[in-house]
Amino acid sequence: MNIKTFSGIVASVVIATSAGAEDAFPERPINLIAPFNAGGGTDLLLRGLAPHFAEAIGGDAFVSNMAGGSGTVAASALQGQRADGYQLGYFSITVSTIQPQIKNVPYDVDSWTPICSVAASPTLLFTNADTPYMTAADVVEAATANPGELVYGSSGPGAMTHLTTVAAFAGLGILDKLKHLPFQGSGPAVKELTSGTIQFFGDTEILMSRGDFRPLMVFNSERLESYPDVPTATEVGIEAPLNELYLWGGLFAPAGLDPAVTSKLEAACETAVSSAGFQEFAANSGTVINFRGAEAFDTFFRQQYEANGALIEAAGL
Amino acid sequence: MLSSLPDALAILLTVEGLLVLVMGTVLGIVLGAMPGIGSTVAVAMVLPFTLTMGQAPAILLLLAVYAGSVYGGSIAAILINTPGTPQSAATCLDGYPMAQRGEAGLALGWATVASVIGGLVSAIVLIFAAPQLAAFALEFGPIETFALILLGMTCIVSVSTGSVIKGLLAGMIGIFLSTVGGDPIIGEMRFTFGQWQLFAGFNLLAVVIGVFALSEVLMRASTALSQTSELVDFKGIVLPKLAMWKGRLKNLGKSVLIGNLVGVLPGTGAATAAFISYAEGRRSSSNGANYGTGEPDGIVSSEAANNAVTGGALVPTMALGIPGDAITAVMLATLTLHGITPGPKLVEDNPTLIAAIFTGFFIINLLLLPLGLILSRVAAPILRVREAYMMTAIVLLCAVGVYFVRGNPFDLLVMGAAGVVGFVLRRQGFPMAPLVIGMVLGPTLEITLRQGLILTDGSFAAFFVGHPIALVLGLTALVALLLPLLRHQLARRPSRQNQE
Amino acid sequence: MTHIVNERVMVLLALFLVGGGLYAATFGQIYSSTETAQSPVFFPRIILALWMLLALAALVQAVRAPSDTAPVTSWPRLIVLLLAAVTYTNVIGREGFFLPSVVFAAISLPIFGIRNPLVVGLYAVAVPGALVLFFNHLLGMPLPVSRFTYLF
Repeated sequence: MNIKTFSGIVASVVIATSAGAEDAFPERPINLIAPFNAGGGTDLLLRGLAPHFAEAIGGDAFVSNMAGGSGTVAASALQGQRADGYQLGYFSITVSTIQPQIKNVPYDVDSWTPICSVAASPTLLFTNADTPYMTAADVVEAATANPGELVYGSSGPGAMTHLTTVAAFAGLGILDKLKHLPFQGSGPAVKELTSGTIQFFGDTEILMSRGDFRPLMVFNSERLESYPDVPTATEVGIEAPLNELYLWGGLFAPAGLDPAVTSKLEAACETAVSSAGFQEFAANSGTVINFRGAEAFDTFFRQQYEANGALIEAAGL
Repeated sequence: MLSSLPDALAILLTVEGLLVLVMGTVLGIVLGAMPGIGSTVAVAMVLPFTLTMGQAPAILLLLAVYAGSVYGGSIAAILINTPGTPQSAATCLDGYPMAQRGEAGLALGWATVASVIGGLVSAIVLIFAAPQLAAFALEFGPIETFALILLGMTCIVSVSTGSVIKGLLAGMIGIFLSTVGGDPIIGEMRFTFGQWQLFAGFNLLAVVIGVFALSEVLMRASTALSQTSELVDFKGIVLPKLAMWKGRLKNLGKSVLIGNLVGVLPGTGAATAAFISYAEGRRSSSNGANYGTGEPDGIVSSEAANNAVTGGALVPTMALGIPGDAITAVMLATLTLHGITPGPKLVEDNPTLIAAIFTGFFIINLLLLPLGLILSRVAAPILRVREAYMMTAIVLLCAVGVYFVRGNPFDLLVMGAAGVVGFVLRRQGFPMAPLVIGMVLGPTLEITLRQGLILTDGSFAAFFVGHPIALVLGLTALVALLLPLLRHQLARRPSRQNQE
Repeated sequence: MTHIVNERVMVLLALFLVGGGLYAATFGQIYSSTETAQSPVFFPRIILALWMLLALAALVQAVRAPSDTAPVTSWPRLIVLLLAAVTYTNVIGREGFFLPSVVFAAISLPIFGIRNPLVVGLYAVAVPGALVLFFNHLLGMPLPVSRFTYLF
């Protein structure tokens, strides 16, 4: 902690002494780091954004991948870098707020200069279309009648899919009456949902639409346009902070970035996100755009970090 | 599906369509043939180009590079004993001894024909039986998968050239390496000793490339300098004559079948198929006794199976929207990007696109033969360089290949360590293929075992009671494990004096 | 004595000790769950127990039936290459791909018998240079770069 604060001070001193450099920013290509493998959802989103971001900043930008440890390896590596604005990570809710609270990684809430948020999709709890569970009440009834019978899956412990199911069942007060079966990634979990080994899974709308699944609730502030009959978590009786859950992601730089550079990057991000090209990309790929500027994103990020602590406790992680 | 064939051909038989197929396959073969560079890196390299392409060309480019690189991997495995991917690890068991005998061209010929036939059959199966096979894949829950992986583990005995004990020990080392990092069920860290770099575990490819390619370079440095100017005696692929196939067709058919079936099951993959097929070939082929000494059937077993997986892996991907492996996962994400939702309705909703993908996949496999022949002629002079140039280039390429797998410099360090440990163990007669099997199958073995125990409330016996598929696979594994040991003991008794 | 203390026995003994050490390490960690399927050390313990058993069996075999390991033609050559390879893979992350590759190639080529300094120099610069040019500048998929410039 001390070392981190110290290096933060050193970094800001270094930058302060080289004042004026930000006028020329960027002088070289900006590296956008996807903390997952090439070809994954995060990577492709970033590759869709990169050309528009490069155009907006008036320089060059490229995407690189650093995969492993549910995204923590890339975040841990970036945290140790000099905050010069040439290396930005695209981190999701799990990488930036969940993983540092359940693993002993070298970064935490104070390690970053948030630049902008790009996307945010609410998650849903769903079941296979041929199960008899039509509503959350049906699930509560079945789980109470036969504790230990029903199984919910996840793409891994601590993943967004895990937190969604935990938020649902902890919110309904039946978490200990169901079994949790983690898988290695969403693919095998969705397969077992189709074949009936597990009954419940939670993920975003785009993933749910891949199969013949029935949504039971959505962790959004209001009902979704595409599923007007599906109640929100609040409507089925789940209380804050478990009632809203968004798979969000945004660009982060290491802590101590020069404010002038931050605002340049923030402005470029805004232009890129609102560009026609990226809007079209988002519409095609089912990405729900949610832009926040540096300051708003910083507040949101810190508030999420706090709120997700409750979720982690409920999940027993 | 067949009614959309004319439309599909209209997409494929254009200048752009053909160019994508040919260029993609060439690129895949060339990259796959480079030591240290495998399918994952090859696909990552072409990925940015697919973003600006149409739906069908984008997927076909990925498929062409994928199929080409799986085939290309056999080239480095056979010629210089440096497989760049786990799925070629079984190929070098017989391919390299053949090359050492001066039959490199013929060894590659067997590999080429087996790969092409494996790929073509899997394409036909994909076109005609995808829905049925997808239903079969759904029968495989965690418990059935556990039994299958257990069966796969018994291959360790078959690929242990030399000492079975050392082979099994290498297998355990491989499984152990796969357990380092986050626990798959509750997420807590194991054997990381506080190092965040280890949170992600040891990367499979970094270890594979270390123990095979890097240790091979060290092995060569420990022997006398090669006096001949040529590294390998290779003038191009020599196709096996028809008469040479006599008595080998059954093995070929079996290997293709194994590749298809294993490929269909998500979470297994080409390496598993190649090893299971190799073990089965060794058990049942009339030439089984020669496996490991440069037997063509060994190459056929491994290559026919690992290429058949490419088609098999597309079955759950296209029919269910569930990726069969890391590469098909990239294809699914690419489809999503083009506004197509993968899932059970994919084929119904996009018949032309799917017909184009399946037909294109068939054409890619047809292309492997002529392109393989041409490229091998072009590449032959490059392979005739002196050992020094080749060995140095191998180390550099391995560094490049390992770096791009996850973009993590720590993996390079792992590769270096694996190279040294691999070298030390190989000097003591430890086979390295079992280590790779252990590392490939270890994670699935562990997670399915523990998932099964969660589902049965901790009863291991219940794995086999209500699960007939698991029972059959489990018994087969038991027989596969005990039979060679018994045979070994019986064969050993009279010849003990001679051996010691 | 030479029968017992040879390279083979030492390697197998080391393997046995590493297995044992790792097995012991599973008891040093505290996990939130110890129930069979939930315990993170349940599976590794089975594997490590088998590891130790097999290493012991191999060790007994090696002591009872000693056999020689293949001779090394030149230890200095091997050790220099080994150290070069390990150092090389270690420093790429910090010093970039290009510079360490040049140094490694300049060490590795003479070890494999190329003595002509011109050829060594040309190869050592051209091959890594071509790789950097291709990946960093043509494909936009950069290999690690040095602390001096983002160009290589």
